[in-house]
Amino acid sequence: MLSFLLRRLNLLLITALILTIIAFAVDRIVSVNADAVVSHNGYISQYFSYLWNILNGNLGHSSVDNQALLDRGLIFFASTLELCFTALIFSSIIAIPLGLLAGLFRNTRLDYGIMTIAIIGLALPVFWVGVMAVLLPSVWGQVLPVDGNLSLIYEVPVVTGFLLIDTLMVTEQYELFAFIDRVAHLILPALVLSFFLITEIVRLTRHSMTMVMRSNYIQAAYAKGFSRTKIVFAHALKNALPPIIPQLRLQLSTIISFAMTIEIVFNLNGIGKWLFISLKTGDYLVLPAGILIISGFILSFSIFIEILMVIISPLRRGSLYADK
Amino acid sequence: MALLDIRNLSIDIDTAQGKIRVIDKASLNIVDGSIHGLIGESGSGKTLIAKAILGLHNSNWTVTADRMFLGKTDLAKLTHKERRQILGKEISVIFQEPSSYLDPSQKIRVQIESVLPKKTWQQRFRLILTKIKKVNVQSRRLQIKELLHKVGIQNDVAVLNCFPHQLSEGVCQKVMIAMAIANNPRLIIADEPTTAMEAVTQSQIFRLLYKLNQLNNTTLLILSNNFANTSNISDYMTLVYCGQTVESGSYKQIMGSAMHPYTQSMLKTLINNVQFNEHKAQLYTLPGNIPSSNQLPIGCRLGPRCPRAQKICVENPTLTTKKGHSFRCHYPTKVS
Amino acid sequence: MLINNGFNEDKIQSPLGYIWSIFKTKTIAVVAMWLIIVLIIVSLFAPWFVPHSPLAQNPESMLLPPYWVEGGDINHILGTDDLGRDSLSRLFHGLQLTLGGALLITLLVGIIGMLIGAAAALTKGVKASVLHHLLDALLAIPTLLSALILITIFGPSYTNCLIAISLSLLPQFIRSSFLAIEQELSKQYIVAIQLDGATKTRLFRYGILPNILEPTITIINRLFTMAIIEIATLGFLGFGAQLPQTELGSIIASSMELIYLSPWLVTFPGIAIFTVIIIVNVLSEGLRHAVLEGEE
Repeated sequence: MLSFLLRRLNLLLITALILTIIAFAVDRIVSVNADAVVSHNGYISQYFSYLWNILNGNLGHSSVDNQALLDRGLIFFASTLELCFTALIFSSIIAIPLGLLAGLFRNTRLDYGIMTIAIIGLALPVFWVGVMAVLLPSVWGQVLPVDGNLSLIYEVPVVTGFLLIDTLMVTEQYELFAFIDRVAHLILPALVLSFFLITEIVRLTRHSMTMVMRSNYIQAAYAKGFSRTKIVFAHALKNALPPIIPQLRLQLSTIISFAMTIEIVFNLNGIGKWLFISLKTGDYLVLPAGILIISGFILSFSIFIEILMVIISPLRRGSLYADK
Repeated sequence: MALLDIRNLSIDIDTAQGKIRVIDKASLNIVDGSIHGLIGESGSGKTLIAKAILGLHNSNWTVTADRMFLGKTDLAKLTHKERRQILGKEISVIFQEPSSYLDPSQKIRVQIESVLPKKTWQQRFRLILTKIKKVNVQSRRLQIKELLHKVGIQNDVAVLNCFPHQLSEGVCQKVMIAMAIANNPRLIIADEPTTAMEAVTQSQIFRLLYKLNQLNNTTLLILSNNFANTSNISDYMTLVYCGQTVESGSYKQIMGSAMHPYTQSMLKTLINNVQFNEHKAQLYTLPGNIPSSNQLPIGCRLGPRCPRAQKICVENPTLTTKKGHSFRCHYPTKVS
Repeated sequence: MLINNGFNEDKIQSPLGYIWSIFKTKTIAVVAMWLIIVLIIVSLFAPWFVPHSPLAQNPESMLLPPYWVEGGDINHILGTDDLGRDSLSRLFHGLQLTLGGALLITLLVGIIGMLIGAAAALTKGVKASVLHHLLDALLAIPTLLSALILITIFGPSYTNCLIAISLSLLPQFIRSSFLAIEQELSKQYIVAIQLDGATKTRLFRYGILPNILEPTITIINRLFTMAIIEIATLGFLGFGAQLPQTELGSIIASSMELIYLSPWLVTFPGIAIFTVIIIVNVLSEGLRHAVLEGEE
């Protein structure tokens, strides 16, 4: 187990190093674009001083308002993550049962119905759905807010960056209203992001379920005279669900990509809108900061998932020892 | 008395090239308390017959049979629920490649426990009573231990706490057998139980199955492609070629007075010390290959390869039965 | 029925022929295939048959609704925008850029990605290791972000947008094709081919390629879907096609201020993107099912 951890951490380090090189390259190029002072040292020594700065948590300062990029970026990214995870939880609740049903009743009308919904979900361009959702208040009246993270009347100090938690911390001032307001602001964007996620999870779950239901041990369970319900709950679920997690992990960067688009459409203060606005105003230094924050998160999250999988899945644990 | 009586079982499978009749009027008659070998080359449809008996077929299969009785129950007319009552309790199955037939995410203990008969309320009550009174009554743990010892697993605790992928194929097969006999079924179907196993394990498994038959009087249907190996322990044998049952009879009848050319050729493939094989002589095989499933010959499917085939062989021969020895052939002859 | 043939003259079909014969039975998928062909032809020859030039402004008829809504004009079936330009013509021209660009990207990334994926799977040692780490790093950058980076460096234009999307989709495609090939490589018949002394190219051509048909269809479909969405998204954000060019995303963006006044200007391009993706997905699902059934 320890050697596995070390190996994974080793991979993490190398990949992180490559990422810093990419960020450094981007930083150099955009700095030239922005007519920043070009020092006359060699690129290599420049890179090491850049790396040193990163390790010290200094990603430079914005060329527009001169604020530390890391702090601001992290606050914005927290709100993006909040959006992603709300959508993830919401779509998991809907999509996993649907996917399981589709996989269980493969090639029946139910399956075709669910898969049609899934394909429609994939085919809807996220930004367009966002635009359409922004139109909603004009059709149904003001039910859910479609603009911003939080109504402007609430002043919530930034503690964690996750507004859902921050609003809960100011309950003595606003009671639960701030929290409810935040939830109301989150619903529509999360719903729009869920469109894509639901499709993805339904497809993955269905595939995984089909594979499991076709496998020999399910046949054996039928031959033992177990009922279908018992087979599904005792054997199929436990084998079908874990493989979905690493598959979904591969989609993480796509999910964040979509979340960034949605932020721009819904005018949410997330990292997508931050990058977008900064680039429009010519603040190109946000790019390397954005790369480091987002990719750093995706990378560490992947490693975390991998370790988690090893812990929960006995089969993976087995293969871990076997390949040595 | 016949435990399993199947008459003219046919299976059609829907494919993109139309319906293919994979099993053509197969008949099978298994005597209670015997070991019956169902022998045929791989792809001849042994597993399909077994699956049809169990009712575990896919939706694109059409299964028809004139008779399909297990004891007094008609297997063809069972509802799903009734079939579940029979599976596992009256018939149980042992598969080839056993490790893939065990759930990879559950420990062996959980899997064995799941096939044990459910505790009734009375038993549960008694269990609680025994705990209070501290009387030793056969508990589940003991039951499992006994099962594993029966199939020849000594270190039961270690095996019970393992996942299937941590065990060897032989041990997995023993676990499968233990699970199969847990409910004392009347019929055990063993589908090539020893493929991909070492010779020692193979003979262990065969001896185990033989012992089961002798001690518990369990009827065994052994599906195998190994004529030499299976014929040693079978009381009765049925030979399958390309989905047709060509000949069936007792060990003596098949070995001593085989009527069908296919059986005779199978007998010739046995290597024994009685017959003298010339140095560097070719071993006997039938000419030609097994036809692919979408190019099956009509009539007797052995036709193109048969040494005695004539014009009439394009029609399916009828079943001839003499003293329990039955075969399908237009030109049966006994070779002396 | 094969059984009743006196002489068996049915050939065993080649695998591709067999898959094709299954595919032909799937009506919806065949319809989708024809629709795609029609769409491609339509977007290729759009300039020749659309009723109006996409850029022709007509101050007489501005912001017309579609003709079936009250106040619509039969000359402008889908209405006009704020400069009096015909929506239908703009839609077809937009389709040309969006669909054409997506097809181009799919073709390019598909070939390059498959080659690199195969190289990564078939080589071992330092080369593969370097490739993997680089891929891991590139995969950790979301597509939109890498597209933003490349566009910031090269400046916004339609060509740069296509290049950016290709480069940002490439790592994903390489990874998926790598995984598919890797899975195939662990099978026994590959070992048999290797033992025959097959070269890497032969192994790939005859051993792997015919057997990764199904995952390839899935990932190419995914690639196309993502490409079309990304082109439209970047167009929408103003990083893609620049003003005189009509691209579905940029049409939506330019009509955003009019969203309450004439919502159909935003609706139709969206529906067009939606339809294209649906058709392609239906086709690929049909193909995938045919391949799966053919393999069974």
